[in-house]
Amino acid sequence: METMEWVRGSLDHCVKCTICETFCPVSNVTPLFPGPKYVGPQAERLRTGEGSPDASLDYCSACGICTFVCPQGVKIAEINAKARAAMKAERGVPLRDRLIARTTLMGKVGTPFAPVANWFLGNQPLRRLVEKTVKVHHEAPMPRFVGRTFQSWARSHTPLQDAASAVVLFHGCNVNYFEPKLGEMAVAVLEHNGLRVLIPPQECCGLPLQSNGLFDDARSYVRKLTQSFLPYANRGYDVLAMSTSCGLMLKREAREMLDLQDDEDLKTVSAHTYDVCEFLLALHERGELKTDFKPLPMTVTYHPPCQLMGHWMGKPALDLFALIPELKVEETDAECCGMAGTYGLKAEKYDIAMAVGAPVFQQVEDVRPDLVASDGETCRWQIQKATGVPSVHPVEVLYRAYGLGG
Amino acid sequence: MSADVVVLGAGLSGLTAALRLAEGGLRTVLVAQGVGATHLAPPTIDVLGYDPELVESPAQALPAFAAAHADHPYARISPETVAASIGWFREKVPGLGYVGSLDENLLVPTAVGAAKPTAIVPEAMAASDVRAGGRFVFVGLRAFKSFYPAYLAENLCRAKLPSGATVEARGIQLSDPGQEPDVTCLEYARQFERPEFRKAVTAELLPQLQPEEKVGFPSVLGLDNHRAVWQELQDVLQRPVFEVPSLPPSVPGIRLFRALRKAFRNAGGRLVLGPTAVGAETSNGTVDALVVQASANRPTTYAAKSFVLATGGFATGAINLDSFGEVRETVLGLPVAGVPDVEALRFSPGYFEDHPMARAGLAVDEHLRPVDADGNPAFGNVYAVGAVLGGAEPWREHSGNGLAIATGFAAASEILEGAS
Amino acid sequence: MSKLQTEVLVIGGGSTGLGVVRDAAMRGFATALVDRGDLATGTTGRFHGLLHSGGRYVVKDPKAAEECIHENRILRKIAADVIEDTGGYFLTTPIDDPEFADKFVEGCRATDVPCEEVPVAEVLRKEPRVNPGITRAFAVPDGSLDSWKMVWACARSAEAYGARILTYHQVLRLIVEGGAVKGAVVKDHRSGEEVQIDADFVVNASGAWAGQIAEMAGCEVTVFPGKGIMVAMNHRLVNTVVNRCSMPSDGDIIVPARGVAVIGTTDQKVADPDNWEITREEVQKMLSAGENLVPGFRQARALRVWGGVRPLYQEKAEADTRDVTRAHALLNHRTRDGVERFVTITGGKFCTLRLMAEETMDAVCGELGVERPCRTADEPLPDSEEKRYYWLGARVAQREETLHQDQLICECEFVPRRDLEAAMLRRPTTNLDDIRRLLRLGMGPCQGGFCIYRATGILHQLQKISSSVANRSMLDFLQERWKGVRPALYGDQLRQVRLDEWIYQGTLNVGHLPADEAQGSAREEVKT
Repeated sequence: METMEWVRGSLDHCVKCTICETFCPVSNVTPLFPGPKYVGPQAERLRTGEGSPDASLDYCSACGICTFVCPQGVKIAEINAKARAAMKAERGVPLRDRLIARTTLMGKVGTPFAPVANWFLGNQPLRRLVEKTVKVHHEAPMPRFVGRTFQSWARSHTPLQDAASAVVLFHGCNVNYFEPKLGEMAVAVLEHNGLRVLIPPQECCGLPLQSNGLFDDARSYVRKLTQSFLPYANRGYDVLAMSTSCGLMLKREAREMLDLQDDEDLKTVSAHTYDVCEFLLALHERGELKTDFKPLPMTVTYHPPCQLMGHWMGKPALDLFALIPELKVEETDAECCGMAGTYGLKAEKYDIAMAVGAPVFQQVEDVRPDLVASDGETCRWQIQKATGVPSVHPVEVLYRAYGLGG
Repeated sequence: MSADVVVLGAGLSGLTAALRLAEGGLRTVLVAQGVGATHLAPPTIDVLGYDPELVESPAQALPAFAAAHADHPYARISPETVAASIGWFREKVPGLGYVGSLDENLLVPTAVGAAKPTAIVPEAMAASDVRAGGRFVFVGLRAFKSFYPAYLAENLCRAKLPSGATVEARGIQLSDPGQEPDVTCLEYARQFERPEFRKAVTAELLPQLQPEEKVGFPSVLGLDNHRAVWQELQDVLQRPVFEVPSLPPSVPGIRLFRALRKAFRNAGGRLVLGPTAVGAETSNGTVDALVVQASANRPTTYAAKSFVLATGGFATGAINLDSFGEVRETVLGLPVAGVPDVEALRFSPGYFEDHPMARAGLAVDEHLRPVDADGNPAFGNVYAVGAVLGGAEPWREHSGNGLAIATGFAAASEILEGAS
Repeated sequence: MSKLQTEVLVIGGGSTGLGVVRDAAMRGFATALVDRGDLATGTTGRFHGLLHSGGRYVVKDPKAAEECIHENRILRKIAADVIEDTGGYFLTTPIDDPEFADKFVEGCRATDVPCEEVPVAEVLRKEPRVNPGITRAFAVPDGSLDSWKMVWACARSAEAYGARILTYHQVLRLIVEGGAVKGAVVKDHRSGEEVQIDADFVVNASGAWAGQIAEMAGCEVTVFPGKGIMVAMNHRLVNTVVNRCSMPSDGDIIVPARGVAVIGTTDQKVADPDNWEITREEVQKMLSAGENLVPGFRQARALRVWGGVRPLYQEKAEADTRDVTRAHALLNHRTRDGVERFVTITGGKFCTLRLMAEETMDAVCGELGVERPCRTADEPLPDSEEKRYYWLGARVAQREETLHQDQLICECEFVPRRDLEAAMLRRPTTNLDDIRRLLRLGMGPCQGGFCIYRATGILHQLQKISSSVANRSMLDFLQERWKGVRPALYGDQLRQVRLDEWIYQGTLNVGHLPADEAQGSAREEVKT
């Protein structure tokens, strides 16, 4: 059955129990969003695909929490996303959404002009101008361009010789344009464990395009990315994703959302895709992870991104942290930091995003950790901006504990 | 991933088993497709309410009940274990302050004003016990559409209580502050955590109250700071205050879930939400690993020494009745007991009649392991708890949460004993 | 006994009766209509909601086809608000005789039913759930309609012209004097009292019960009740009406009707229109038929099953009721039976209600010796003045406007509190099913699981009834919902039933409400 019908058909499982609504971080902070049950399985029965009746649907942040708390298996977030794409196709996608969805474009344009771009992004009057015209909120946390890409580092890096096996690194746009050092750390951690890290040329997974309703563009990006990894997957190499949301895209979201359910190449790549922490934990379960961690006497607040939970695998980073002596870890007791990809950048959504994230920020402020760790890059931007606490990927904590930075 | 025990299902029975196992020192992973019925059900722990007549003392009634219902899960667990499980449960959620005992059921009003038997209730419901009659006022909130105090009160006044006592009850409707006309109980619970909101409510309410009147709200009195909110209301209103559960979602149930989840986490347990169990790897009558539908296009397995099925039965599709009339337990393909023939009557024409199909579910041995028609366990290391079990009609007997806790506790005990 | 005087008394509150009372009222007659229950509780409220293009009859029953397409065009003009312009397909499925398609095309041409062959690929693009094995496809102007909306719109139109619409008034006997029908004695079920209605003319429009009414005047009218069952699927598997391109057979049509997809139907003669059962075999037949049109049908969620009895009139008995004509019959009892001032209008289809009414009132005028032209084809029904077809998303769009002003009581069907209260006040009733028919309350996936408790509380408050009566309303409604859910209860709907049982019997403990104070049904408590 075509994917849309399979996703839409899952609304039959809905027994109107309201569990999804109790978890929705957006409807819990604003009455502008009537809730996932409402815009998902409930309204979908009355949508024909012609004429979208409900603009309030646009307030969904696509965090995906509703789907993984639903006890009946309704693909709520997916139904919402499809309905929203249909609505946007009808009403038109705003210029703003088209721009922020094109991370590769932004990266390619911003990187050579990093200092200028960063100045631009940090300049409040200019940001207010941007808000008026393009509707990106002037306070929204934006990453900094660093002037060189991770890909350029990778090209000049000598891979580990005499390695027992190899893995492919799916670094993602964030590592490439904004956090190449994180990519270097990931390589160091994997090499420390005897793995040769292959870093083929690769572009965007298309997720920002998909979540802004630009399905055709998203499809061409994800197909291209699939082809980048396919030769490796065919040879049995695992593909490790540095970003939970990008990893999820290859694992299942692209297939579900973009009607690529039967795409054999994507299925092959998906079968080999792991989140980087998931992979490291699996190594440990097989007894193959080096556990020569030095004591790390610090407090880390760990925030599992909502998109990580969409992997349906629990929180592997926590189990990895448990291996590090003297490390104290506090887990946040909140569903979402509010950013949800590009949602929190938008002028009309910014306040909602900040309200959604407020419990997370409060818990960080209460604990006053040395570091915040989160697998999601946009979570890191959001939490760091709101609390001032340096926010890192869990791999960086491992890197430090291995003593690889010197 | 590998563990000592995998519990499948995050409802009350799954959470109970998982917590007991984790606290017992076993590496426990709780895998669930989603969140369970804690979010939907009242927090009352019903052990046995009707048989079909009103049960006044579950402790006294259980032995005869178990003897008369040989297929019922209560026939598999000793009354001592049931009592122990309830006692254990109360200690795990001290913040909710459960009161009551198995010796005597309380009678508490439901949202339609029927009196409902239950064994133990959170302290915030204790004052609603009507066994001795009394004077009650029920308070409706401006924008809450799932509570009708006048209707409730009128029915409650007509309740025929075993003691012969009478109830005086009335309903009033507040116009609490706020602009939104359609406010959920969860949102109201958050409002009640704000001092200015509570002040406005009590200011409006106090002049309307009569002496010696107990004050009943829908269950919205706070979430994380629930106890403080409830106590403050009692102090300000100078009368006992209680909550009345209504339609889902259940705020007290959410409090319960959060308390149990926190305890599980603190005991080192791991919760994995989202995947659907699709099968198992087995060998020699043992389940070696549970297979779940992963997000990626590959099977994901959870290996363990023991497995607890807390999957919920027909209510979640864990046991599925298909369009041809065939019944299947969808995770391990276990035999389902109590299923009338396809051509026979399964559901009676009258909604309130007895339905032959209602008690279909997994049959278990005295260790709570699912068994076939001959009484042989399909797998030596699999246990079943909660609503997936057959032989009971918890919504009619009013035994749901009691069964969940008792069976979850008992199965965990079985596994802990086996492990030691 | 109280008395009521009118000129034209119409017996029967289905589509036929409402068509007649509107026509009569618009022609300036003083009119009254009676039905033993609520409007459209007979056949009218129990079919699949198809606005016929006539395609289903072009081969078998060309006269019926011609009437259908003729009235289809008129109804679109006067009752647009009732109609969803879904369009329809006739599809040659793998089990159909491919040669029938040519007969179909020829039949359409001969009866003036618009029919256009479309490429199979186009159909599969528009309706991805349809069987990919179809070999030919034809587009016709089918639509789907809301029968309650239609009859209530007719009622409001008739009332605007002075008609009295008396629901829950059951005919006990006809008053026959001197070889003429002079009126009827009815029982008002709400008050329990009898009412004598004196009329110049009586029109028997009681559908499958026409024979019973005619007998009260000593006239023999044989109407076969042809039972048909339908299954409502929880969501619209198709957004276009889908028919098998073949001779009419069981389960050969799926109609997208509001939020559900209805598959129907069967055709089986029964003895008594009030006494028949839905069997397991019939339901299985529908599910298998559905699987042929939409593969995967059996994995989709069945909401409920119901049946209706078609009024099939034939002077001579036929073996298979499917062979009885769908054309209507107007029986002038003066010429036929020697009883004056009495006609029976029977048979026919929902879609020909206006035509049947026109013929009936032309005959009535003739008998009364007056000339009053029919205007029903020219004047739109209330709410259809703008000639805008019903849009499925309308309720959601309306809710968008009132998100911050009103409460949603029935969430599945988007029924806001103000609409519910207005309906309760407009037609005072304690029967929540009456409200359901007006608003679709409780007709969604949860079948009242959440809204019935709320509606009961609101009813208690608004109608100032006792909690006893309110309890009765709630329990009756639960029983009514169960009646339809039970025969096709499996899969997802069983999950729902379990949750609803937990809510009503568990959380609310409705099985142990205090005993009723008064005796008798809830209906008798309300004073209109």
